[in-house]
Amino acid sequence: MSNLYLFAHIADTAVAIRTDEVEAVVRLSELSPVPGVMGHVAGLSALRSRVLTIIDATAVITGIPHDTINSEAGEGYAIVCDISGHSYGILVDGVDDIRTVHNPPLPICGRVSDAWTPYADGVIEDEGLSYFIMSLSSFLDQSSVVQAA
Amino acid sequence: MDELLSEFVAETQESLEALANVVVALEVDPSDRTLLDELFRFFHTVKGSCGFLNLPRFEKLSHAAEDVLSEIRAGDATPDSATISAVLAVMDRIAQLCEAVAIGESLPDGNDGQLIETLHHCYRMAGAVPEESTAEPAVVVDEETMASTQVERTGRGAATSRTIRLPLSLIDQLMNGVSDMVLARNELSRKLRTGDASPELETAFERLSACIADMRDTISKTRMQRVDRLFMAIPRMVRDLGRELGKSIELKLEGGDVEMDREMVEMVVDPLTHIVRNSIDHGIESPADRIAAGKPEVGTLKVSARQSGSQIVIEVADDGRGINIDAVAHKIVSAGIMTEQDVAKLSNAAKLELIFTAGLSTANQVTAVSGRGVGMDIVRANIERIGGIISLSNNPGNGLTITMRVPLTLTIIPGLLLNAGGLNFAIPRSAIVEILHDNNPTVSINRLAGALTATIRGVRYSMIDLETVIGLPFIERTGPRTLILVRSSSGNPYILGVSQVENHEELVIRPAAPMVMAAGIYAGMTLPDNGQPMLLLDAGGIAQTAQLPLVVDDIEAGEAAAQEEEARQYYTGLRLEELTGEQRVIRLSLVERVEDIALAAFGMTAGHTHAMIEGNLVPCLRSVDVNALKTQGVKEVTCLRLRDGVRELCYPVRSVIDIDEVPTELDLSVAYDVVAGVVLLNGVHIEVIDGFALFASAPDILEQAETARARCVIADAADSWNREILAPLLTQAGYQVAWGGSEGAVKAGDVVLVTSEPATEMVSGSQAAVIRLRNNSDPAEPDDPSIYRYDRVRLLEAISQAGQKRGVA
Repeated sequence: MSNLYLFAHIADTAVAIRTDEVEAVVRLSELSPVPGVMGHVAGLSALRSRVLTIIDATAVITGIPHDTINSEAGEGYAIVCDISGHSYGILVDGVDDIRTVHNPPLPICGRVSDAWTPYADGVIEDEGLSYFIMSLSSFLDQSSVVQAA
Repeated sequence: MDELLSEFVAETQESLEALANVVVALEVDPSDRTLLDELFRFFHTVKGSCGFLNLPRFEKLSHAAEDVLSEIRAGDATPDSATISAVLAVMDRIAQLCEAVAIGESLPDGNDGQLIETLHHCYRMAGAVPEESTAEPAVVVDEETMASTQVERTGRGAATSRTIRLPLSLIDQLMNGVSDMVLARNELSRKLRTGDASPELETAFERLSACIADMRDTISKTRMQRVDRLFMAIPRMVRDLGRELGKSIELKLEGGDVEMDREMVEMVVDPLTHIVRNSIDHGIESPADRIAAGKPEVGTLKVSARQSGSQIVIEVADDGRGINIDAVAHKIVSAGIMTEQDVAKLSNAAKLELIFTAGLSTANQVTAVSGRGVGMDIVRANIERIGGIISLSNNPGNGLTITMRVPLTLTIIPGLLLNAGGLNFAIPRSAIVEILHDNNPTVSINRLAGALTATIRGVRYSMIDLETVIGLPFIERTGPRTLILVRSSSGNPYILGVSQVENHEELVIRPAAPMVMAAGIYAGMTLPDNGQPMLLLDAGGIAQTAQLPLVVDDIEAGEAAAQEEEARQYYTGLRLEELTGEQRVIRLSLVERVEDIALAAFGMTAGHTHAMIEGNLVPCLRSVDVNALKTQGVKEVTCLRLRDGVRELCYPVRSVIDIDEVPTELDLSVAYDVVAGVVLLNGVHIEVIDGFALFASAPDILEQAETARARCVIADAADSWNREILAPLLTQAGYQVAWGGSEGAVKAGDVVLVTSEPATEMVSGSQAAVIRLRNNSDPAEPDDPSIYRYDRVRLLEAISQAGQKRGVA
């Protein structure tokens, strides 16, 4: 497993995602809404000939839709990933960097807020800052469970 | 049949290639059951396929090999190398036969019998003296034939149409590439439109567009196939098997036009063939048994395909004896697969599942058709391999329905783009029966405690608005809403109300993410040419989500009435909506034309409405509340201009709805005013306007209109009262106003209005009628004929009478 991580912000929390799971980071422009589904499905977006299902990560965690969803421009960064045959775009607050981290992942210390408990796999420290390690596939699996509950 | 044959050949050759390794592996480890099973299945499949393709030599060979392998399997023996060699020889012969069939030549009927002999001999030898190798004869024979075929082949060219087999991933890549190309083309087209492109550039672009479109079509075709192809072999198979087994079977095929991924078709052919064979062999009883069971002599086998959500559902239903669960359980126990205790613990459904156990057959005899215990386990394996599900619905004594659900994966379907709640959606065209507007005369919509029912030509359907299902607001727009009569998966159609149907397009459907599918109303998603992702609606899912009852009741009375109506007389009528909201019908022949007239052209005179049309005042048959309409933002009023040959009337209406065939037969009991009676039009009571009463109802207006042609001459043009008050009054009442002195002499027939003494001379001696106006309300003398100048009613009456006198004179 590579030590290359994508650093991003979701619901004001710093997260690190293994780049194995990440295909690309795109800037979203147009979103086609999907009515009648769970709230965290922000819509569909076309990435060339692919159709991405855009998941609002903020909504998954906090239950409140991300600001960009309602704004006129509707722009935001999405992490493109391919999970069990479907293409997703995970809408995040922002993407900071991609860096190799040599420190091994650490267990979580302290009590994580309830909203984050299902998603945090561990913590990684880099340049004096801590990031949650997040797995996109388990994030998507969990998101359905949480919303359904 | 040629296509089937080449398919068979291609498949067999492919299997043979794959099996070459298996045979080698089996020689290394003869005790490996899975390898043996695989080899056995190959022969079984070949036997099955060639049975209905009428290839007796294939059948003989594969049957022999199957027999031997089956015995080895059953006896739990290990095949020795000699037997395996013999089996291999049979396989090689099959390969040669394949070649021969492919190039359309018959292989000289050499020594098939000898090969089979050898095989049986080997097997027997293996049983008796396991170590002895007897493979030689087989190999020798084999080599001889090989040599001969090769010699023959060099002499012939490949005359048949050539095909190649490509990995699907390659086609997927191509498909994606073309989709990208289309999007790039669209973007380029937008760019070209904004800038000013030279004609040469545009021509080049057009050519590129055409090429891309062609390519897209071609690539789409490489993947799609109608299910018809899947069904093609079934009728023959059913006929042949039925004859062979002495059963008469009626076959019903449905849904052949459902399109399916080519790969899917290929994957489903074998399972489907097995299921159909099983049904005929085990399911449907012999005619004698059927009669004894009180069933029709002819058994029914129904094979149907349909699309349901993101799946293709293929159903094979027979009305045979169904599965005897106890017999299955017994077989399982006797075959030593499970103990009696274990089986006893199972529920009936679980016992039914046991028929999918490998090596099980409920048939009492092994026939040439089926009953070797292959079938259901392979069927299930094949279906599950492509991500499908197979389920059974057993009705012991009355039949068995086997349902296969296979995914739709990448399919291209003709779809309809529609709009609801401001969003675009797609719906497969195959799901649509009919599209109507809600103002269509054959449609009536009723709301009962929130439930919508639409009646189309006497048939009631459940109705649901798409906005309600997906929880979007209704968007206000002009024009009628569109009703789509949709076929749902349960077979009962319902009506889906949408804002508008936009377009139709060939859509590449991709599976949607699970969280989107969870809504239950989508079948997938698609990327149409405009590059905006769109969701494909699942007609059946919507019905389920909306919990529509899906009951169809053809109202028999309605049908009878329709037949009765045909016998009646009709005339053409115009259906209109009155300003007050009622719907009425008027004979179309009375209506000269329909015109939108500006609100400003309407005016009131003596309680009657007039409209100014082309410079003339035309009486209106309905009052037009100008101010109220103005506040509603109405600028024009639709008017029917009626003419009885002489007179013209204006009939303002809110809207003209449609032209209908109206029965001449009227219910006269409700006649009143201008309503002649009531007719039943498409099941709705509608009042018919009485044309006679209409023209008769406005005689005074008409007379006024006629007198209006008389000129009113106001004698004193200098008087400001005459100018500012009298003249406007007369004009408003529809009279033409002239001024004394200014426009020459007063003509005969004019009405002269005199307000002051000096003007009297002017009119004296002329033939014109004179009306004098006075300033005081009380007359100066008792016999003063003058009229008080603010007595409007008397004034207009006097002018009107003066005009009539003129007419008489």
